[in-house]
Amino acid sequence: MAFVLVMAPLSRHLHDRPLFERLGHVPQPEVLKAVSADQAQAVGAAMVMKVMIYFGGLSDETMNRQKTPPDYPAMYRVISGAVKLDPYNMDAYYFAQAVLVWDVRKVDLANDLLDYGMKYRTWDWYLPFFAGFNNAYFLKDYVKAAEYYRSAGELSGSNLYKSLAGRYLQESGRTGLAIVYLSTLVKSEKNEAIRKSYEVRLKAYRVVQIIEQARDLFQVNHGRLPSTIDELIQERFLSAVPVDPYGGRFSLSPKGEVRTSSNFVFGRAKNDERKPE
Amino acid sequence: MINAIEITELMKTYRGKRMTRVEALQGISLKVCAGEVFGFLGPNGAGKSTTIKILMGLIRSTSGTASVSGLDVNRPESRRFIGYLPENPSFYDYLTAEEYLRFVGGCFGMPGSLLSRKTEEYLKLLDLWDARKRPIRGFSKGMVQRLGLAQTLLHDPDVYILDEPMSGLDPVGRALVKEIMLDLKRRGKCVFFSTHITADVEAVCDRLAVIVGGVIRKVQRVDEIMAQGVEAYRVHCTDDDQALRVEPAALRETLAKLEQGGRKVTLVEPIRAGLERFFLDVVKECAAEKPV
Amino acid sequence: MYVIALTTLRGYLRDKIAWSVLLVAILFCGVPFTASLSMRQVTELSLTLSLSLVSFVLLVLSVFFGGTSLWKDIERRYTFSVISLPISRSKYLLGKFFGTAAFLTLITLFLIPVALAAVYVASHINPPDRPVLWATVLICIGFDLMKYILLVACAFLFSTVSTSFFLPIFGAILTFFAGSMSQQVFDYIHSDAARALSPTTKLVATFVYYVIPNFSAFNLNLNAVYALPLSLQGVLLTASYFVAGVSLLLALACLLFNRREMN
Ligand SMILES: Nc1ncnc2c1ncn2[C@@H]1O[C@H](COP(=O)(O)OP(=O)(O)O)[C@@H](O)[C@H]1O
Ligand SMILES: [Mg+2]
Repeated sequence: MAFVLVMAPLSRHLHDRPLFERLGHVPQPEVLKAVSADQAQAVGAAMVMKVMIYFGGLSDETMNRQKTPPDYPAMYRVISGAVKLDPYNMDAYYFAQAVLVWDVRKVDLANDLLDYGMKYRTWDWYLPFFAGFNNAYFLKDYVKAAEYYRSAGELSGSNLYKSLAGRYLQESGRTGLAIVYLSTLVKSEKNEAIRKSYEVRLKAYRVVQIIEQARDLFQVNHGRLPSTIDELIQERFLSAVPVDPYGGRFSLSPKGEVRTSSNFVFGRAKNDERKPE
Repeated sequence: MINAIEITELMKTYRGKRMTRVEALQGISLKVCAGEVFGFLGPNGAGKSTTIKILMGLIRSTSGTASVSGLDVNRPESRRFIGYLPENPSFYDYLTAEEYLRFVGGCFGMPGSLLSRKTEEYLKLLDLWDARKRPIRGFSKGMVQRLGLAQTLLHDPDVYILDEPMSGLDPVGRALVKEIMLDLKRRGKCVFFSTHITADVEAVCDRLAVIVGGVIRKVQRVDEIMAQGVEAYRVHCTDDDQALRVEPAALRETLAKLEQGGRKVTLVEPIRAGLERFFLDVVKECAAEKPV
Repeated sequence: MYVIALTTLRGYLRDKIAWSVLLVAILFCGVPFTASLSMRQVTELSLTLSLSLVSFVLLVLSVFFGGTSLWKDIERRYTFSVISLPISRSKYLLGKFFGTAAFLTLITLFLIPVALAAVYVASHINPPDRPVLWATVLICIGFDLMKYILLVACAFLFSTVSTSFFLPIFGAILTFFAGSMSQQVFDYIHSDAARALSPTTKLVATFVYYVIPNFSAFNLNLNAVYALPLSLQGVLLTASYFVAGVSLLLALACLLFNRREMN
């Protein structure tokens, strides 16, 4: 009886703990590796799993209730600890790329992780593919990006990635690049939480691409850039108000870039809306 | 002729924790011949088990030598010709009685058919045949003791070293052991056994040694002790429930008288102060010496 | 010696604890499910988990049985009846050791098909990028077994000088962890990062490194899990190290055991 009485508040307490607390304290990876004896891979896998479960539970929360933001630094710490224990653990790199890059824009950290992983997973084309994308899309370092894409192409034997280097490696090709990237991943993704986040993002980029195409058409017809989305709709370049799956509102920058108040992240739109404009 | 067991100036000092020393054996010497049943008599803590453990190579003597069948006891081969029964034996309790004997026979390198025959023979002899398929874990103390005896007999050794073979046995078992010992003696084997019970010695032994406090006090033939010790005779006659008590000096005279009186003597029994007295006297003597 | 080994093995096989450990085999059923939580390496994770389980079972058995085998014989005074048989103590000790090693081998042979089945199922649900190198997996488990046999030899060595099970069991556990991390520590003190350490510390660490068994050499998990090529030279060297190490430990154990008094 007492057990039942205690159980409910206890589980509520555990559930409401600050997020970093739920991820827990992770000892120094060197120490952990030494102590885990011949179970380093298993411990590494357990750490990645812990982050994934944490994130999996979180995405729903964030999407539904738009609560506290996830503790990304803690996630990064655990992941980078995990690859110290098992430098071959693909889940770790994949997760870092899938979550840390997009949501926190810690592209440099992610790239460091990827470079580290490439030293070990020498056969894996995903790692240079990710690094190429990061360099091109986020850092706009097209020379480096081309190198990574070439490497990914050679490892995978697929010409698509080699040609990516030439096709999209320029400012105007960013949306296309992201769509190729995301649809490559969404196809092979089996983790529900991550695939959902890819699908949402892909959807958003498809909308962005539609707006961009409308904008380009507008420019061809009018010889100038449209100043607002509404203008595109009025001129019938767009049929309806484009919907941002992240809940934001699209807008155009003075240079014609497509922006959204959500910034492709759940929960931001609300905050932005509260801001006096 | 080689002695079955030969012990010369054997000393054993146990060194315990914190520099405690127990001088369990203080230079004992002993010779036991083949075809002899030898009783090793002593009170508790006298050093009987210590001597036997040295003979079996379980512990090392501090000084002195010991050999069995002419082989130094430190050589494993010397044990090939010994049947040993430890004090309070305990055997791999997950084995059954039969498996255990097969294991022992295997260690002695006995051929399979012989081993099967002997296993059956001795399990039956020691009344364990019905329990042969049961794990030793479920055996009573007496059953374990019997199994230990079966083990000592199994490979038909020349020398039997038994540490308190009667302990834990019921009267039937004791009688059986005595019978076995006598049978071994008839077959010219050497039996060396320790005990603190004088009655055991009296029944079967040719000779005995009394050890007290790590020193051998007496080595003597049992019949000599018995002869020395006869205090009187009890004479039974026909048609008389009352036995006569007769002084040794008057025995011949009395017997002659009875015959003349036309009565038939059915039994003449010596009344002994006996071994018990002998043993107690030796121990008492030692106790008296000690304070000096 | 053969008889002793066989009897020892029989004792293990009749031990309830040994069988209850095999219940762990049921855990292997969970391996494919757990592994399917992985995003990118289901097969690899199933391999990791399977190897971990095998290794864990062997660790528990080798520490427990390696540490108590000799102690139990002495404690329950089985030694009186066995050592008084015409076998030398060395043969008795070696017999017990080989019986224990044979037991671990049997358990491994039992676990291998179970573990491989778990990996096979996982790899069928989610085919890996790189095919599983089954031979490497088998070699990896084989080296795991060698590692734990070496550990048993250590436990036996401790048993010969100890009157309780405390030293053999905890000595073995300690040796296992020290031997598993010694390489890492050794690499560390010979790296630039450790320049600040005092020379004495380094010397002591280096000494310890050479004295305790190097278990990390037997760890081929990475090769098995990620289908990395094995170095033939490394495998041969480790196998020789195993033979040399076990022989040395057993020789030492026999030497000590021969001098031991059976009270
Ligand atoms: N392991 C030992 N350590 C110290 N003293 C011992 C040890 N074993 C026996 N002793 C001592 O040696 C003496 C002889 O013991 P033991 O030979 O067992 O006597 P017993 O004649 O009853 O068989 C005893 O005083 C006993 O306390
Ligand atoms: Mg005794």
